[in-house]
Amino acid sequence: MTRLARFQRSVLPHLDAAYNLARWLTRNDHDAEDVVQEAFVRALRYFDSLRQDDSRAWLLAIVRNTCFTWLEKNRPADMVAIEDEGLISADAESLGHAAPGESNPEVIVLQSAQKKLVNQALEELPVAYREVLVMRELEDLSYKEIAQAAGVPIGTVMSRLARGRELLRRTIEVRMRKAS
Amino acid sequence: MNSGPGDSAEMIARDATYHRASEDLRKRVGAALAREAGESRKPFLWHLFGTALACAAVAVLTWSLALTMLLPGGDERIAQEIVTAHVRSLMAPNHLADVVSTDQHTVKPWFTGKLDFAPPVADYAASGFTLTGGRLDYVDGRAAAAITYRHRLHVVNVFVWPATGEADRAPHTHARQGYSLVGWTRGGLRFCAVGDVAAADLGVLADLLRDKT
Repeated sequence: MTRLARFQRSVLPHLDAAYNLARWLTRNDHDAEDVVQEAFVRALRYFDSLRQDDSRAWLLAIVRNTCFTWLEKNRPADMVAIEDEGLISADAESLGHAAPGESNPEVIVLQSAQKKLVNQALEELPVAYREVLVMRELEDLSYKEIAQAAGVPIGTVMSRLARGRELLRRTIEVRMRKAS
Repeated sequence: MNSGPGDSAEMIARDATYHRASEDLRKRVGAALAREAGESRKPFLWHLFGTALACAAVAVLTWSLALTMLLPGGDERIAQEIVTAHVRSLMAPNHLADVVSTDQHTVKPWFTGKLDFAPPVADYAASGFTLTGGRLDYVDGRAAAAITYRHRLHVVNVFVWPATGEADRAPHTHARQGYSLVGWTRGGLRFCAVGDVAAADLGVLADLLRDKT
């Protein structure tokens, strides 16, 4: 079997996962598609470095890094540094006010509104929290795999997950209060 | 709403959209991969062709001459030199860098006047490669810039030296003594990144530096 055929069999099936992560990090369909295409070309180039372990986590690490390189170049404003040790109350306040969003009490009760609310709140999170939450809750990666992909220690992954969840909860809370 | 953080994890899993790739993207990626595979196949065939020619030449020569011809060629020899320089740089704490700084505006000017070329220097902390400094080194019989990065707990050295009259070359990876190497040539400079990290991670740094030059 050729190298390309082996790649197509073991890596290409994770195209949806790659796109999901890129879409959440770039927050835009078109940009996500560009990043995914670039990430796959890069993955094929470094396919020899994939050992027997999980090809999905390996691919997602490449997608993550391609996204960050892209964001750094095209949307440096998205690359806000976060304080891993700091307090988050100030962040939560500013997030709650960042976007007015929809505040119609009737739609909030609908399930589709709940989805919209979660989607918007997650999109608003700083990218450092968003990436760990998407990798953990949507892609089901282990702490270790996330730590490897994001290039941070496992302890940082855990604290970012906790803070990210807390920020998300508060953002949603603020939105719901405004709506009711 | 009084849900704890655990609930918001559940909320993401349940309510956040899982974005799926479009059929169009699937086709685009397939085509890009075929293109990439096609591009890398050609140099490989040329490489084989070159090796075959060299072997034929060797067969014609005497055994002693053949022995000298089988000694490591250019790339192999340089890869060995680079691994040696990398290992040496790790042996004592102050072998690694002559100028210690995470600021590219400190490291880059340091090379001015010490080298007859200007190596690209930048910090990529956001992508996991924190600039830690630079030093002078010696590769392929020439003075070279060695720019040092920290990637998690690993040290990465990037060697840069002039490529006299060489064409640009896409990144190619080697592994040697447990170290990964990614080498490329661009704009009249040869680059080689080395470290005990995955080749794909080094590739990320290679791509960042290539964007810069």
